[in-house]
Amino acid sequence: MKCELAQEKIALAAWGELPEDQRAQLEQHLAECVTCSSEMEAVEALTKAMSLLPVEEPSANLMARTRLKLEAALDALPRENWLVRLTQSFSLGMARLRSAPLAASILLILGILAGGYGGYRAGLHVHDTAQTALILQAAQQHDTNAKIASVSSIVQVPNSKTVVVNYNRLVPDSIQGSPDDPQIRQLLLLGARNRVNPSVRDNSVGLLAEECRTGRQCNDGPVRNALMVAMLYDKSPTVRMKALDGLQSYVENDLSVRDAVLEALMNDSDAQIRAQAIGFLTPVEADSSVREVLHTVAMQDDNPHIRDVSQQVLAAAPQMQ
Amino acid sequence: MPIDALRISPPASTQSSAGRCRIQSSRMDSEARALENDLIREAQQGSRTAFDALVRQYDQAVLRLALHLTGSEQDAEDIHQEAFLKAYRYLANFRFECSFYTWIYRIVTNLCLDLLRRRKSRREDQAVLIDSSGEEMDLLNNVSDERASANPDRELNRKFLGERILSALDQLTPRERMVFELKHYQGLRLRTIGEMLNTTEETAKNTLFRATRKLRANLAQVR
Repeated sequence: MKCELAQEKIALAAWGELPEDQRAQLEQHLAECVTCSSEMEAVEALTKAMSLLPVEEPSANLMARTRLKLEAALDALPRENWLVRLTQSFSLGMARLRSAPLAASILLILGILAGGYGGYRAGLHVHDTAQTALILQAAQQHDTNAKIASVSSIVQVPNSKTVVVNYNRLVPDSIQGSPDDPQIRQLLLLGARNRVNPSVRDNSVGLLAEECRTGRQCNDGPVRNALMVAMLYDKSPTVRMKALDGLQSYVENDLSVRDAVLEALMNDSDAQIRAQAIGFLTPVEADSSVREVLHTVAMQDDNPHIRDVSQQVLAAAPQMQ
Repeated sequence: MPIDALRISPPASTQSSAGRCRIQSSRMDSEARALENDLIREAQQGSRTAFDALVRQYDQAVLRLALHLTGSEQDAEDIHQEAFLKAYRYLANFRFECSFYTWIYRIVTNLCLDLLRRRKSRREDQAVLIDSSGEEMDLLNNVSDERASANPDRELNRKFLGERILSALDQLTPRERMVFELKHYQGLRLRTIGEMLNTTEETAKNTLFRATRKLRANLAQVR
């Protein structure tokens, strides 16, 4: 043991705070080291000297006097009303709750475990049914010889030889019928949103526009909306043109379509589409927003032909009125 | 006369419940502790009788500590009263995390530290050492018994020593004084002292080292 460490232990030992095993080590060191041994003596002398100042019990007289004073002071405290008492008991309750974090944690963990297990059991049950249905379906459809795209998962049913294989199939299909057929129309709407193949969009929008132009089955929102989206946002000018054609019948009565056509007139990059839009807007040129747009186009359009046309339309308007 | 004979051992109530926060003292048997906890709960629900019983259990120890630390009956009385009034007011906050003994001592030591600090700053303000020996002499005189008076020389010597000790203690900081008091005179474990003073056992240990060093320097002439 080094002297530095021994000095610390000496102070602890003097006040009986040194564990028994360390005390033996210290004594061994003290036997060898004169400096530390005299240090030990000095500290022990100090404790003895300090003990010359005795700790005395308070006299009975003092004790009685103090107790009386305290009783009087406690009696003089104002009686607490029920509100204070209620607050206190509430805070006491909260304190007890706070002082039981272990119990609270255990309850919480038990709750989570029970919930988790319950959910697992229920899920297992549902999963089983779903798996059975899947297997039955797969068995039924097996003879259709559908192509298998990929195997998504393989699950071995516990305690049995059964293996459940989930796979995806590619099943191309086709359907025939008139564009009036709701199912076909639904597919056409889907086709109009096809991002991959422009010709699909072209054909779908073309057919839907044709439907509208001929006035069949076109009064419902989805077709009109699909045409508006195609007219404003499709990348292909052909598709946009077809959509615009399909919307012609709406311009007169449908304000949102009119606004969309105005927007196409203002922003479309294709001059043919802009020219066509002007043509469609002629019947409603009295509309102030239409006139506003026509003015803007007449002044600012890049294409001189379009500027001319819109000026002509604007010039013709008063005569028409 | 053996020096240890001068030290009056603390009464059973002090020792029995020398508690530590979270690790309740094993010295207090479970029955007594359960009984005390019942008393505390009753007092928390507003029973004056239960509170009075708690006061009786601890007030002598509290008074003894305050008396020895302040050396003044008046100050000790004040601290005693203030401590138990505080305990009464804040009893609802007691959560049984540590023993009631530790809790009440925490209040008392805080009050004593405040008093020691006030005294120290007052003394520094005055720049002249106040002559506090009057009361201190009284304190020592009270101890004089037939054995001491049988030997006037020794008594004189002890009085002289007592004064030297008091003035050496006076030169400690209030905190050093408190740790030394609780360790040397009240015989508490350093861990308990740490809890009472809201600090760690290690810090209490270091404070005790510092106090020991200072006292040795101050008392060098005496030894």
